[in-house]
Amino acid sequence: MTAPLPEVASRKYDLTFARWVRDNVEGGDKMNMCMQCGTCSGSCPIGPEMDNGPRKTFMMVRAGMREEVLSSSTLWNCTSCYRCTVRCPRGIKVTAIIQGLAQVAAKEGYAPKGENASFANAFWWSASTFGKTDERLVPTLYYFSAGFMEGIRKSLDNLKIAINMLKAGRMHIGMPHTIKDKKGLKAILAKAAEIEKAKG
Amino acid sequence: MSEFERKPCVYLCEGCGIKDALDIDDLERVATMEMGVPEAKRSDSFCAGDGYETLKKDMESGDVNQAIIVGCSPRVMAEQFRELPGQVIRANIREQVVWTQPPNDEDTQMMAADNIRMAAAQAQNSEPPQAYWDAASSLKLLVVGGGVSGLSAAREASKTGCEVVLVEKSDALGGWAAKWSKTIPGAAPYTGLQENGIADLIKEVEEDKNITVHTNTIIGQTEGMPGKFTTQLVNGKGDSWDVFGSIIVATGWREMDTAKLEHLGYGKSDDIVTDIQFEQRLADGNIPKTAAIIINPDKEIQPFSSGVSTKVAIKQALQIMQADPDAMVYVIYEELRAHGTAESFYREAQEAGVVFQKGEVKSVDGDLTVTVHDDLLGANIPMTGLDVVVITTGMIPNSTNIDIEAAEKGEDQLKDDIRPNLPLITINGEEPEAASDDDDGDVMPGGPILNLQYRQGPHIPVLANGFADSHYICFPYETRRTGIYTCGPVRRPMTIAEAKEDAQGAVLKAIQAMRMSNQAEAVHPRVGDLSYPEFGLNICTKCRRCTVECPFGAIDEDPETDYPVLNPSRCRRCGTCMGACPVSTISFKNYNPQMVSEMISAVEIPDEFDEKPRILVMACENDAIPALDMAGINRRQINKYMRVIPVRCLGSVTLLWVKTALEKGYDGIMLMGCKSGDDYQCHFVKGSAMAQERMSKVGETLQSMMMEEERVAVTEIAISDTRKIADTLNSFGETIEGLGLNPFKM
Ligand code: SF4
Ligand code: SF4
Ligand code: SF4
Ligand code: SF4
Repeated sequence: MTAPLPEVASRKYDLTFARWVRDNVEGGDKMNMCMQCGTCSGSCPIGPEMDNGPRKTFMMVRAGMREEVLSSSTLWNCTSCYRCTVRCPRGIKVTAIIQGLAQVAAKEGYAPKGENASFANAFWWSASTFGKTDERLVPTLYYFSAGFMEGIRKSLDNLKIAINMLKAGRMHIGMPHTIKDKKGLKAILAKAAEIEKAKG
Repeated sequence: MSEFERKPCVYLCEGCGIKDALDIDDLERVATMEMGVPEAKRSDSFCAGDGYETLKKDMESGDVNQAIIVGCSPRVMAEQFRELPGQVIRANIREQVVWTQPPNDEDTQMMAADNIRMAAAQAQNSEPPQAYWDAASSLKLLVVGGGVSGLSAAREASKTGCEVVLVEKSDALGGWAAKWSKTIPGAAPYTGLQENGIADLIKEVEEDKNITVHTNTIIGQTEGMPGKFTTQLVNGKGDSWDVFGSIIVATGWREMDTAKLEHLGYGKSDDIVTDIQFEQRLADGNIPKTAAIIINPDKEIQPFSSGVSTKVAIKQALQIMQADPDAMVYVIYEELRAHGTAESFYREAQEAGVVFQKGEVKSVDGDLTVTVHDDLLGANIPMTGLDVVVITTGMIPNSTNIDIEAAEKGEDQLKDDIRPNLPLITINGEEPEAASDDDDGDVMPGGPILNLQYRQGPHIPVLANGFADSHYICFPYETRRTGIYTCGPVRRPMTIAEAKEDAQGAVLKAIQAMRMSNQAEAVHPRVGDLSYPEFGLNICTKCRRCTVECPFGAIDEDPETDYPVLNPSRCRRCGTCMGACPVSTISFKNYNPQMVSEMISAVEIPDEFDEKPRILVMACENDAIPALDMAGINRRQINKYMRVIPVRCLGSVTLLWVKTALEKGYDGIMLMGCKSGDDYQCHFVKGSAMAQERMSKVGETLQSMMMEEERVAVTEIAISDTRKIADTLNSFGETIEGLGLNPFKM
């Protein structure tokens, strides 16, 4: 990210924010090609959980609604499944733009403090520690982040799924699996952090 | 009829599976013994080979002057038979009989025999048409309008060697295009702003030896007919007369009334402008930093909100972006009509950064705040800080001349002619009923362009929004005044590239019309037809019905005697006048009330104990007959009791035929024609509507004969309705069988 994020627009339909996104977010240069067909939001498996979905997000960017876009849950609910990108008839890198906007939001302090953040923290802890996401530890950390009672309730809610996953061999009991070269992983992550820092 | 000595011969074709499905000996007996045709010949093919040679020799030697060819549909092999001297009559037993009926069946055989009887009756009651007049006529073209369409038309005509007179009302050529330069891309790859090339086009026309240009000139009046239009050219210096073969009206378009744009803020600020005004700003290099372009969606004032408005909006938005890549341009639309190649242009504008905003404009304030209900965000959002608000406008066709004070009468005539479907003046002289739709406010102000000295009025008939009336699918350049063609935006909204192409089409038609008129032949759809309506004035009651109902204004009343007088080259030979005449005194040499009555009577009607009904189908030969042929080609089974007579147009069907058929013992009558109404497909514009009107009166006749009204039906059939036509005939057959036989059967 080179150019600083523009000030909040004083009026609607100001293209300053859209132009900034065009120049500073990966895939943003093609965002104006969006014809608002809605294929992306319609294809999105998380669509019903999102406040806006990708289509509306793009329209909001074009309308100059910086605040609304950066504080939207859409950016955090995206699972990077790439269905939208594959299906967009205008060839727009929808996922990349959503992820890019999420990065901007995180950096500018718009990242949500609640559940999304806890899940992300749990996910990141497991991934950076073991090089893998552990199917027991990530949910457990996430569930109990909202308090002990809440943790018990959420765990019980999902017990059936856990048993089925065990039966299907999708979850295991015992020590967490790790990757072989944990040191290599650490080095990679350190390098990435260095690059990010250099970019400012 | 005259001294024409008939020498008929029947040619029975045995090919194409006919021999395997029918008893040819029996058919020969019907033709010769029963119908009295002196001779019948057989061959495996009369369209080629030995059979054709025999036929050709017979006719060229003069032994035969009426060939009754029994075989395929008249729609196929027409070329071969057209070369033959003398009259060719076709009895269709292939598509209509062998291909729609089970082979070697009693009813199939009866149907084929009846088709031969009808063809023989047709021969006995018709003769080859002769040209009405052989005087040489003008091959000069008049083009009215010196804008892109008119200039292109003049150039295109000149390239074919045609002499052209171009008349322009203003003092300079070029029209709107001369004021502007950049235009919507009209050639591959359909992106980028292109020069409109108007200066070159004007130069080409001015240097062209075949083209005479008159500026500051209007048409005083026009009389006559194709090949002989006598036209008065009026300018400040006086007037002159000239004779033209045909006329192209390319008068283009004008701005819409800006008073109608007030609800979009027009008038509240100098920076709320129409696209036309904005075009001028762009030409002057006055580029805004922020702009909203509203594609005027108002259905009320612009019911035809056209693709041109959309393309103009895209063009102007792109022009701003190209001049200043940091500019902010919003195009606000409810319907973005970037059809066809304009899709590439639309994408180009998006890539350049133009934002397309779907929404409804709620208000535009004097400080240029545009409040839009943004459909995609689902909220009313004000747009502020704009430098300019542009409103696209419609193209109002110049189908009238606004420079001339409209005479009260002139306006009324255009108004009455606005709807092609206006009710007819009835024979009893009753007033026409008020038209059902209430767009009476749409009267085009201004005087007529050509000031036609026609009984039917000085204007070229127009459609509801003032665009010249034409058969929009088949004959788009046609007006309802033969030999007069329109091209460019007077016909429909279009871009420069489209207008140029349109001019080519109209020129081809106009040249064809002059040349055909020169040979006394009809223009389309009956191209090359020599027949024309003749009026038996001895029994004419001067009822004027023919003059009123002719869709092309071909008939005048003699100012002294009041009898109808034909302007032959205006006539399209549709026969609508013939169908209208209450005393059946209008006839063509090869198509007349007597002939069809005899054909109807020639069919053998089985007596009531046979329980075999007969259904008369009078089908329009433009669409219904081809659809019926297609049904045959697809081998669809059709009701075995139908007997088909092709008619030139449903408008030519007289009540006399319906009565004859009912008295003769037919059990049902089906009339099949093209779609009528505002979106008509009738090849003679009004014929089908006239027929509907006439047939609505048949109910009374039926009641007076103590018969059910359902026995006579009218259906609209398009050329593609091959399944529908079979289904319609079959279900009509069932209805008739349900009603039981005609009580008048002998
Ligand atoms: S990549 Fe994200 S936004 Fe796109 S479909 Fe998947 S979850 Fe939805
Ligand atoms: S699928 Fe592509 S074009 Fe359609 S709304 Fe989504 S981003 Fe826009
Ligand atoms: S009604 Fe048809 S056939 Fe009769 S004069 Fe008019 S154009 Fe000719
Ligand atoms: S020719 Fe027939 S329709 Fe025409 S004025 Fe005479 S009677 Fe009437």
